[in-house]
Amino acid sequence: MSGRRTGQVLLMVAGLIAWAVQFTIIYAVTSTLCGRGWADAAFLGFEIVPMTIVSATLVTFSATLLAAVWSFRNHRRKGEQPVSGADSFMNHVATLINGLSLVIILWHGISAFILPACA
Amino acid sequence: MNLEARWHTLHGWLGTFAKRAAALFCMLSLIGCSGVQSALDPAGGDASRIYWLTVIMTVGGTLIFLGVTSLLLYAIFAPPERRAWLGTRGTIVYGGLAFPIVTLSALLPYGLIVMRDTDVPQEGALPIEVIGEQYWWRVRYPADGRQTEFSTANEIVVPVGRSIAVSVTSADVIHSFWIPNFGGKIDMIPGRINRINFTAERPGVYRGVCAEFCGDQHARMAFDVIALEPEAFEAWRTEQAKPAREPEIPLLARGRELFRVGGCGSCHAVRGTEASGQFGPDLTHVGSRRTIGAGQFPNNIGTLAGWIANTQHIKPGVRMPSYGSLSGEDLRALAGYMESLK
Ligand code: HEC
Ligand SMILES: [Cu+2]
Repeated sequence: MSGRRTGQVLLMVAGLIAWAVQFTIIYAVTSTLCGRGWADAAFLGFEIVPMTIVSATLVTFSATLLAAVWSFRNHRRKGEQPVSGADSFMNHVATLINGLSLVIILWHGISAFILPACA
Repeated sequence: MNLEARWHTLHGWLGTFAKRAAALFCMLSLIGCSGVQSALDPAGGDASRIYWLTVIMTVGGTLIFLGVTSLLLYAIFAPPERRAWLGTRGTIVYGGLAFPIVTLSALLPYGLIVMRDTDVPQEGALPIEVIGEQYWWRVRYPADGRQTEFSTANEIVVPVGRSIAVSVTSADVIHSFWIPNFGGKIDMIPGRINRINFTAERPGVYRGVCAEFCGDQHARMAFDVIALEPEAFEAWRTEQAKPAREPEIPLLARGRELFRVGGCGSCHAVRGTEASGQFGPDLTHVGSRRTIGAGQFPNNIGTLAGWIANTQHIKPGVRMPSYGSLSGEDLRALAGYMESLK
């Protein structure tokens, strides 16, 4: 597989990877802190558990937004220079996957605003 | 068979199906939509939140299912030029992406809010401890203000309008505490204390059950939940904390003597007498309970006598031996004594 294809595939799954990262961080931090009884642990006045969820969400959301914009621009550029059918398809799917990843990352994050840190 | 004929057959099936489903629902609703043990007749905050969640999910899910099914049938049976719009990009983007995203974005916070509001312990809640045992429920009311601590069994009495904080655990295997009219289930795990909170909104008699298979008699492990007005509850509580009544007539005194010599007191406590066993249910006020045998039989002298003489026959595997060798008269005296313990 050429380097360009690898890049394309990576871009295609970038949102899913960001989502997995968010998932892992949230689960690891929440279960460790809650399991140790540090539900109310705070750092610089912020409660650590909700703060972790919010910052993991912000970081992965921004990364996915970048990936989504990038793939959308690739997708749009197809008019300017001739692209193969496979390229066109991958750009299309990449836009879709990254866009949906934005939604799912947000869904994951909102629990921090509704549920208590360790319920 | 041409398309038209097929459509007619399908139409016929759908009509019959709808009629049968409606009939079945009414039948089920007559049995299940109200009553002493029904999640569809909520009498507490948690239960009604769970009820509405169920209604919204079921009705919403059904409507969406019907919508998608009709579109599917339309896609199969409608003439090509009329169904063409189904394959357009707009339909896919709005129907396949926007619609699910909007619906789920509304349902998710709603579900999370139900989760948050369920189970919140309130200020000034009434603490009750329930211990699951094979195959009955030990119920303790810890001391509260002027009221002293006491134990009862297979019956939880609560005041209407006050938050109830139930702590549950188990003495042997895992059981699960569930009062459908008041909310969700909570596991009773040996060596661990779990909590569940509810508030009874209206007076009445309800029924709770064990919702985790725990052995032979799991299915016969239920309890009564009685929601009383606060004054009536306080009166009940004061009565329950008192020691047992003295037998008023010789027959009952004989019953108490039989209880003593029969060794019942090694498993059962009757406060105010020397019977202080902790293995089985506290019988100090057994006569005041609605049912015996963990919600299995109405409580009267006949069922009490039947229970004592045939325990292993009517609830096989229970941790109490049958006392089948008592004479009829002794049995009557013993059962009469039990019944007199109001
Ligand atoms: C080995 C211990 C043991 C002995 C001895 C014993 N019981 Fe029991 N008894 C139990 C247990 C355990 C239960 C709960 C059974 C169940 O429903 O699972 C029970 C239940 C009862 C109940 C029903 C209580 C309720 O609220 O449902 C009555 C009444 C009763 N026993 C009376 C007696 C009498 C009278 C005697 C003596 C003749 C006696 N028991 C002897 C263990 C014992
Ligand atoms: Cu059980």
